[in-house]
Amino acid sequence: MTKQFKAKRSKVSIAIALILVIFMLLVSGCSAKAPAPAPEAPAAAPAPEAPKFPTKDVEVVYHSSAGSGGDIFLRTMGKAVEPGMGKAWVVNNMPGASGANAWGYVAKATPDGHTLIGVSSTIITAPILNDMSITYKDFEPVAMLFNDPMVLFVPGDSPLKSIKDLVDAAKAAPGQLKWAGGTPGELGFVAGRELMKAADFDMTIVPFEGGGDAAVTVLGGHLDGGIGEYAEIASNVEAGKLRIIGSFNEMPLNPDIKTVADAGYPEVQVKKLRGVMAPKGTPEEVIDQLVGFLKKSLDDPAFKEYYESNNLIVNFQAKDDMQKVMDEQDKQIREAVGK
Amino acid sequence: MVDNILAGLSTVWHWGPLLAILFGVFWGTLGGMIPGINATIAMALLLPFTWGMDPVVAIMMLAGVYCGGEYGGSIPAILIGTPGTNAAAATVYDGYELHKQGKTGLALYTSLTSSVFGGLFGTVALMLMAIPLAGVALAFGPIEYFCLAFLGITMVCSLGEKNVFKGILAGLLGILLSTVGFDPIAGVPRFTFGVLSLTEGFSMVPLMMGVYAITEMFKQAQGIMDGQSFNLKMKTDFGFPKWKELRRLLPTNLMGSILGVVIGVMPGAGATVASFISYSEAKRWSKEPDSFGKGNPKGVAAPESANNGATGGAMVPLLALGIPGSNSTAIMLGALMIHNIVPGPMLFMKTPEVPYSIFVSLFFANIFLFFAGLLFIKFAIKVTSISKPALIAVIIALVLTGVYAYSLEIFSMGVALSFGLLGIALHRFGIPHAAVVLGFVLGFILEANLRRGLLISNGSFFGAIFSSTLSSALIMIGIFAVIFSLYRGLKKTRDKTVNP
Repeated sequence: MTKQFKAKRSKVSIAIALILVIFMLLVSGCSAKAPAPAPEAPAAAPAPEAPKFPTKDVEVVYHSSAGSGGDIFLRTMGKAVEPGMGKAWVVNNMPGASGANAWGYVAKATPDGHTLIGVSSTIITAPILNDMSITYKDFEPVAMLFNDPMVLFVPGDSPLKSIKDLVDAAKAAPGQLKWAGGTPGELGFVAGRELMKAADFDMTIVPFEGGGDAAVTVLGGHLDGGIGEYAEIASNVEAGKLRIIGSFNEMPLNPDIKTVADAGYPEVQVKKLRGVMAPKGTPEEVIDQLVGFLKKSLDDPAFKEYYESNNLIVNFQAKDDMQKVMDEQDKQIREAVGK
Repeated sequence: MVDNILAGLSTVWHWGPLLAILFGVFWGTLGGMIPGINATIAMALLLPFTWGMDPVVAIMMLAGVYCGGEYGGSIPAILIGTPGTNAAAATVYDGYELHKQGKTGLALYTSLTSSVFGGLFGTVALMLMAIPLAGVALAFGPIEYFCLAFLGITMVCSLGEKNVFKGILAGLLGILLSTVGFDPIAGVPRFTFGVLSLTEGFSMVPLMMGVYAITEMFKQAQGIMDGQSFNLKMKTDFGFPKWKELRRLLPTNLMGSILGVVIGVMPGAGATVASFISYSEAKRWSKEPDSFGKGNPKGVAAPESANNGATGGAMVPLLALGIPGSNSTAIMLGALMIHNIVPGPMLFMKTPEVPYSIFVSLFFANIFLFFAGLLFIKFAIKVTSISKPALIAVIIALVLTGVYAYSLEIFSMGVALSFGLLGIALHRFGIPHAAVVLGFVLGFILEANLRRGLLISNGSFFGAIFSSTLSSALIMIGIFAVIFSLYRGLKKTRDKTVNP
């Protein structure tokens, strides 16, 4: 091999390496905007009397990164919404600043329904905890679609079998039961607090940031029990390693699980929500159309299989009804953290 | 068990899955090499393409990305002093030093062989005892995590080579930095000064990029301004080291792999913690601890075997408990959920072929990783032939792009630059930045878990720390380590004052 040729070859390999790197960076830069697979031909043309919507792809902004649970949920839902809507449902991730980046962006977007925000209960919690100037009230509710069921769980060998057992045990030794829950303000924490208030007992809530860590700690027998999302512990419940002693939400797929209402505390209402909101000033007719598209997506068989196997409870509340749920939650959280 | 492994093998042994794994390994290694893109992001980028795939094949591909990503980070760590991923940060100390001494080949191939060793060890451990390993995750409650992190943090004492107190100071600075952001127990923002982007705390990627990459580039730039030559004139050995040399690293690799698997299993820890602890322990138990940080190949082997061992470990809580222990396995959980597969104890009972085919695919991924590594190293060493000013400019651009790609926030670029300046300041005052990073990595684990433990023990420190055999043992080793290194540090300082 001549020296010249060698030098040329090394230049070529540098070039290849650079191209690979640039390609990856480009992909990562664009991934945030990468649309979900394009929809097949629109199933039905929009009704003639309504204003033409959507005229272009709909951008749905979300506050956590690609690949997170909420992000996958929105993308999966997108595939069910697209056929009815006739345009692509493009999820755009804007993580950081506890959500303020995403919410600030959508609040300032043109209110024509082509920019939406995917929301969870975080949009109520985070602004309260971080004293943000932006809150859920800066958006127009479109619809809440699901609740993540919150449950009370104990290790499989725990003597506690029901909410009544828990209340009795806690009353016998106030503050001595150690229960895993979310950080103050997070819904797992709020749920525990609401129940303690209603049943007038006292236990220590040990805050965990992720539901997974909390569940492992309870599984390992380091705590008496925990409050968390059903989906995170379902498999261990099925295997008998954890037991659910009660739920904060009605669970149609698991009718055996007793709710807090069954235990005599119907005033305890905790709804960890998933839904969609629009910028303030989005025309009513556009929102009505969006409500229709979202409602219809629930019937999509693939989406249905997804949300059922992920243990999401359908709780479709459009517009003002969603607002009511959020107002109620806002009050609960403010009470729980004293703000 | 053998049946299950064979069933797994029969799922993997087809063109489609094998190609998927191979592609995943290449993609992961490439992502790992790019500062700011780690295994998690490389996986998230591929996720949309897995929608149409067979779920098991999709997971196999992601497993390949995971292995590749954990390895890839070490290549820039060695060649440019910039860890491509957080878990490769500990590799910088000896890897980059070896490169500067011209022993580039030794560093690169040590990292590759140790990664493959760690990965294979982790996979075998996973196949043989996934379910018992899950017990490790369960044995660690809040206070046990605290004691483990305490044991890890005692290492700051010996990281401040000349002065034990500088090491402790640096460790405390790291812990202080980790307290910025949301208070994990009280749920209020701390030290954010009203800046919303700080409410989530400093994320590790911009911090590491700042402290390692930007600091190093500033230092180099300074060197050039002081008249250093543009090109590396030194004779550099890129060749594959002698097997004898690699064989000498076997005990280090073995210890690193075991630590990697065990720490990888713990949902509250992960590959970065594993690689730092493995590096620290290799140094602690070494006969010549002072050679670490000055180009000891064991300082490359220890973290690299640990961070790839952790890939096997991290699969345990995901598959056996249904709970992801790291960001990367959280993405895998997402991919499984898209396809309506719910991992957890029932997965092993109902469809054992699914977890076992993942295990087998990890095995293949690690074998492919060896060849992918050989190929990538061939390309990557060309970096050393680029003139320094151009290289510095390109790296700064790449690092800032990577930091942005990671966080999608301009703010993070500012964070990286600020930590670059901090790194320079630390360097000036002879404060070891490794101790700052260790303090930062472990600070959150220390704080949150101690406070949880205290909630459980009704506020009694004694009751919390000595509540279990495991925590008592860990804390005792930690306390002895502190006393020992304080004694050694004081003796060193005194010797110096007596015989200057």
